[in-house]
Amino acid sequence: MAAQGIWSGTISFSLVAIPVHLVKAVQPGRVAFRSLHNTDFSPLVRRMFCPKQEKLVPPEEIVRGYEIEPDRYLAITDEELESVSPERSRTIEIVEFIDMKEVDPIYYDHPYYLVPSKGGEKAYRLLVEVMQRTNRAGLAKFVLVEREYLVAIKSTEGALTLFTLHYSEEILPDEGLAPKEGKLEAREKNRMKNSIKEMMADFDPGKYGNKHREKVMNLLQQKMTEHALVEAPAVEEEEEGEGPADLVATLENIMREVKKSR
Amino acid sequence: MAGRAIWKGIIHFGETNVPVKLHTAVKEERIQFHLLHRTDHVRLHQQMLCAHEKIPVPAEAQTKGFEVEAGKYIIVDPAELEQTIPGSSRMIEVHEFVKSEQLDSRFLDRVYSLEADLDINAAGYNELAGALQEMSVAGLCTWTMRKRSYFGALQASGRTLRLNTLRYADEVISVQSLELQEIPVSEKELKIAGDLISQLTAPFQPQKFENEHQHRLQELIEKKARGEKVVLLRPRILQPTASDKLLQALEASLKKAA
Repeated sequence: MAAQGIWSGTISFSLVAIPVHLVKAVQPGRVAFRSLHNTDFSPLVRRMFCPKQEKLVPPEEIVRGYEIEPDRYLAITDEELESVSPERSRTIEIVEFIDMKEVDPIYYDHPYYLVPSKGGEKAYRLLVEVMQRTNRAGLAKFVLVEREYLVAIKSTEGALTLFTLHYSEEILPDEGLAPKEGKLEAREKNRMKNSIKEMMADFDPGKYGNKHREKVMNLLQQKMTEHALVEAPAVEEEEEGEGPADLVATLENIMREVKKSR
Repeated sequence: MAGRAIWKGIIHFGETNVPVKLHTAVKEERIQFHLLHRTDHVRLHQQMLCAHEKIPVPAEAQTKGFEVEAGKYIIVDPAELEQTIPGSSRMIEVHEFVKSEQLDSRFLDRVYSLEADLDINAAGYNELAGALQEMSVAGLCTWTMRKRSYFGALQASGRTLRLNTLRYADEVISVQSLELQEIPVSEKELKIAGDLISQLTAPFQPQKFENEHQHRLQELIEKKARGEKVVLLRPRILQPTASDKLLQALEASLKKAA
């Protein structure tokens, strides 16, 4: 499966518990470049450096810290963080259901998919079906690493989607942005409505391509035909660090095409 | 108050031109952590190392490459990349309108509240908000802001216009790729689950939910700063409901909710 698990745990409503894992629903569309050393074209890896001891610090010596006063830090361990909200770090408990139509889109933050883990397939399918029929979504609180999220779980094309929502205190008021309601030009409004009617269509986001990315891809394509590729020297062990470039499928296809035609 | 204006543009379609200022609509506040060295609690810096030579590489000795296959790159000159950056423009061009309910939530990214740009003129703002509101439609538009191209939906919220940036279609991962299994569920299970959900349905009142975790985390930090001991708690892990016990669990839940 292509999807990469971010978290695994249980989603529950009332007395029903469904084992699930959370996966990405969106991926960045930007063309990913790798930072290389300009002398040997070896990729660069990110490491943490202690300025006091002047040495690189391995992951097991790194701890999260909170700045209590300038340059004075308090170390917080993973276990301490997890114990802040122990009931919510492994469980997404749906506390109530809502009608999705009531949710102002300004609350939407980030989408994810939930997929069933072993043994949860049937209850998952039931929740998908019933939420789709009723157009309801479940509201829950959920803690992921350092943050607690308010989330809405709903049914999308046969899958459960999880949306992190903003808290209402994070929504800035918008009073005073619209001009004072003077005389509303009814004729002008009707003219706009007519113009809108003529421009009505179905939502088909596939029509809108990322022009900038197309240009970057064209540039890469051109360079592929004009220049030889540089090769990085082999390193013994697989280095973790920046990680492999998050390639876009379309771009990979183009690259394959270009290589074939060379 | 609304956040400060970050950009100015002109909404355009047909013979309509409405000058607006974009304001951020959401402000997130959260506790910031840094990475420390466990042994001396010194804040760590990031350093880029050459994977081959294992030496630090300063910014001026770094170059950008696109990985075509494992370990093979096309080197790209920043000046060449600069040329792909879209030209600057103030135009927020509306290409078409769709029913608001058709907008797929997975596409919604950031929201900006729009202020009428009185420095140019206020004409058209209220009329446009009124027309969008009364017709429940969203205008699909594109614009270039701060060297980036955007795709978005123009909508009205009450009397205020909003611009919601949308993700491009190939940024949304399809449900098909999840390869979910089709499993039959009985009408009886659906009926009981439906009744249960109705029992548990409430109006959407986001102000009921506070970020309690943030407050508790603040308390934990203060406690530790005073040198008090912190009690460690284990996360709660629920036992999954077995498929053959599903109906039973639903019925018991319904009884409990009633």
